[in-house]
Amino acid sequence: MIPWSITPEEAGIMKWSIETALGMGASQVRATLNKSMMDLVQMRDGEVDKVSHSGDRSLTLNIYADNRYGTFSVNRLDKEHLKDFIARSISIVRLLGEDRFRKLAPPQRKIGCATTGLELGLYDSGYGNMTPQRRREIAADACGAPGRSADGWKVISEELEYSDSIYDMMIMDSEGLECRHTESSFEIGCETTIADSEGNRLSGFWWDSQSFLSRLDTLGCSRKALERAVAQIGPKAFGSCRTNMIVENEVASKLVNPLISALNAFSLQQGNSFLKDTLGKKVFSDGLSITDMPLEQGANGARLFDSEGVAAAVRPIIENGTVKTYFVNTYMSGKMGLEPTLEDAIRPVVGSHGPWKDTSEMMAGLGEGILVTGFNGGNSNAATGDFSYGVEGFAFRGGKIVHPVREMVITGNFMELWNNLAGIGCDARTCMSKIIPSLAFTNVDFSA
Amino acid sequence: MIGQKNYYTDLFSIDVPQMERLVGEALSGGGDYADLYFENTAFRDLYLRDGVVSSGGYHIDYGVGIRTLVGEKTGYAYTESTDMKAMLSAAQAAAAISPGIFIPSDKPTVAFKGSPNPSADRYPVERDWREWDTAEGAAFLGRLDKMIRARDSRVVKVIGMISCQMSDIMMFNSRGELKYDTRPMGTVAVSLVMGSGDKVRNNHVSRSYRIGAEMLTDALAEEMAGEALRNIDDRFEAKRPEKGGAMSVVMGAGASGILLHEAMGHAFEADFNRKGQSVFSDRMGSRICAGGINIVDDGTIRGNRGALNFDDEGVPGQKTYMVEDGVLASYLHDRISASWYGVRPTGNGRRESFRYNPVPRMRATYMEGGNSTPEEIISSVKKGIYVDEFANGQVKIGEGDFTFYVKSGYMIENGRLGRPVCDLNIIGNGPKALADIVAVGNDARIDDGAWTCGKEQNVPVSCGIPTVRVENLIVGGEN
Repeated sequence: MIPWSITPEEAGIMKWSIETALGMGASQVRATLNKSMMDLVQMRDGEVDKVSHSGDRSLTLNIYADNRYGTFSVNRLDKEHLKDFIARSISIVRLLGEDRFRKLAPPQRKIGCATTGLELGLYDSGYGNMTPQRRREIAADACGAPGRSADGWKVISEELEYSDSIYDMMIMDSEGLECRHTESSFEIGCETTIADSEGNRLSGFWWDSQSFLSRLDTLGCSRKALERAVAQIGPKAFGSCRTNMIVENEVASKLVNPLISALNAFSLQQGNSFLKDTLGKKVFSDGLSITDMPLEQGANGARLFDSEGVAAAVRPIIENGTVKTYFVNTYMSGKMGLEPTLEDAIRPVVGSHGPWKDTSEMMAGLGEGILVTGFNGGNSNAATGDFSYGVEGFAFRGGKIVHPVREMVITGNFMELWNNLAGIGCDARTCMSKIIPSLAFTNVDFSA
Repeated sequence: MIGQKNYYTDLFSIDVPQMERLVGEALSGGGDYADLYFENTAFRDLYLRDGVVSSGGYHIDYGVGIRTLVGEKTGYAYTESTDMKAMLSAAQAAAAISPGIFIPSDKPTVAFKGSPNPSADRYPVERDWREWDTAEGAAFLGRLDKMIRARDSRVVKVIGMISCQMSDIMMFNSRGELKYDTRPMGTVAVSLVMGSGDKVRNNHVSRSYRIGAEMLTDALAEEMAGEALRNIDDRFEAKRPEKGGAMSVVMGAGASGILLHEAMGHAFEADFNRKGQSVFSDRMGSRICAGGINIVDDGTIRGNRGALNFDDEGVPGQKTYMVEDGVLASYLHDRISASWYGVRPTGNGRRESFRYNPVPRMRATYMEGGNSTPEEIISSVKKGIYVDEFANGQVKIGEGDFTFYVKSGYMIENGRLGRPVCDLNIIGNGPKALADIVAVGNDARIDDGAWTCGKEQNVPVSCGIPTVRVENLIVGGEN
């Protein structure tokens, strides 16, 4: 028995909710039940600072009635309360404007082989054996920096957090869909703040997240957070210039996420995408290939279906610089006259390109520039692709790091940036749901 | 909006003796303090796209969070049921922080006795959102859409949104304090995409208040339509600065208050200072900017998005001077940090919902007005940038490095506004930026946009500032 998993009684409430909504006049209904439970231990300077326990359960109903549509959610699942809730929901739907494209996904596109939730191998059977004491032991053992000091710095505080959780989700609809996804998660994160010899405070953060406890790097987190804080001591000014930029795998998603968002049909239909009218066109460097790989057994972020219950599949998103996929759900498919795909990328994997494996080889290959290890704010314009981000990291020269930099801003346009791609490593962190290695670009605008 | 006590106890199916039993259970292993936070939130939203209000929703979130404090240490648990068995189980989970023996606190306690006072209610509600008609909202969005499209033919797409919520809150703690409150929040937002030739521009405008459905007036729609298309011709001409780098930045009145929120406000939150992490940890009582500058965090502005009758620990809403005449005067405290520092809580203990324990958070953060006119400030700059629309910001607490993203502004050359600029990030350092404020305008204004602060949890806030000149901020540009 998986702790806090969806019970047959709760599955029965989902079915009852669908039937009740249909009985009140809905033409189609989709019900999604999300359940999760999480336990957390937070340490500060080697001592337990916070423990928490939470259990969540919420039912979302997507209701279609008279060519109208609404989304409703509730976390009180007794039938008496639900009946009133559904009646009110239907009355709200009927006051909305007509939209003939709102409908469930056709049956042939929906998943048919996700009945237990365990198909992708994302549940650690040891999760049920976790105890409050075991959690405290893991967190305490992971603490490494409290009180540490060395020539030129001392630790001000170390905040370390360990948590584990279970997530169970089931979707049913009025046309017979029934699918489920279950996964456990074990996470650790550490933020260490140090003071240098002049009293300046600097912080470093590191984390890991895995579906299986045995894969979690519990002991390396504290060390890496401290290393990242200490490495920032002694930043020097770096003048405004155009130069090479390497973006560490840890933060590279900042530059990939806007590309994937721009391929979403909703943004495209609203004219709020810089990748409008690019399907099938080569608009990026040959070196850029992104593939959605949602079906990898045991991999973080893997899913068999999207929130409509549509079956996931391996598909190229961008191939050798050519846009291959727009993410089109059932609604946008009808509205735009496009073939439906998925509502969004599930587990995008950015392919390696060029001779460099990681940031060290990139620095050696490029000679000089800025290695970006953190972004500090900023944003991008979805319509134009213009971006401006605060960055921090290290200046490198002769292929080696020479000093930390901060208070810098990069400015540009995503189309130009990705056409200045110099290389993509093969060092992606597997703890993320987006698999993105370190990236190297030439000719990037830095302001400082 | 404050109801009768029975309304809340009936809603959550509990009475005072039962609440006493729960806090007793939360303290059964020892500890200084325990509290209960009951919440019932009804949330509705409506969306207009392509000229039709064709989607919307209704959502209910109900539950109780239970907290045990042992000194500065926290045990927290919540349940989505107010069944006594479920709540006792949560209380026992929260009690897990306890050492197993009773440790009496040596810190003085501050009690906020007394019943809520409806006459001091800071949420003026003439029309309860729970009674609000969906059709009325759809009609409002339709009018807003038409107003915007009628004003400019370059408008290609309009997305309009209304969201509203009413949150019934009841709090009880181990000191016997019982507080209850019903918090409204109404928000209207509109996003535009505009096209002219091959140029595409977008914009986003929002208004958000702790008031009732009476906020949906034609005057509001007119105001938002005007704001959405303000300086539209300049938007099409806007570019990045030709050269980025350090320069003088004149922050326009209102939304530029994000500077205070990111650069100073977070660093004044007492949890970061208690732990020694903030760049201001050892500067209480020190001069941190020029005399005459006052920076405030205020929960008492009636109807404001950051207004609070009580914070989420039952402490009365207050106005707190963080910087008074240029001197750091107060951090923003929850009960934990106030006890640690030996001061009174400032009413800044806030949380996103019953799922989160409260931590020090801002409310409405602003700078009081100075003596200069905005024109005098702009004319004093030989070369710099004037900024007046913002999207988001961020700060690194330890280092004090902050950023904010500018949607639009103008170059300043020889004291005059020059060519328009857009989509650039500005970065600076909190203490340095405070010390580099060289002029403060007499036009202080609070921005009524739907600002949301995301420190671990999302809470509604607002911000404001008069026109201010700051030296040596790093502006993103082309080189």
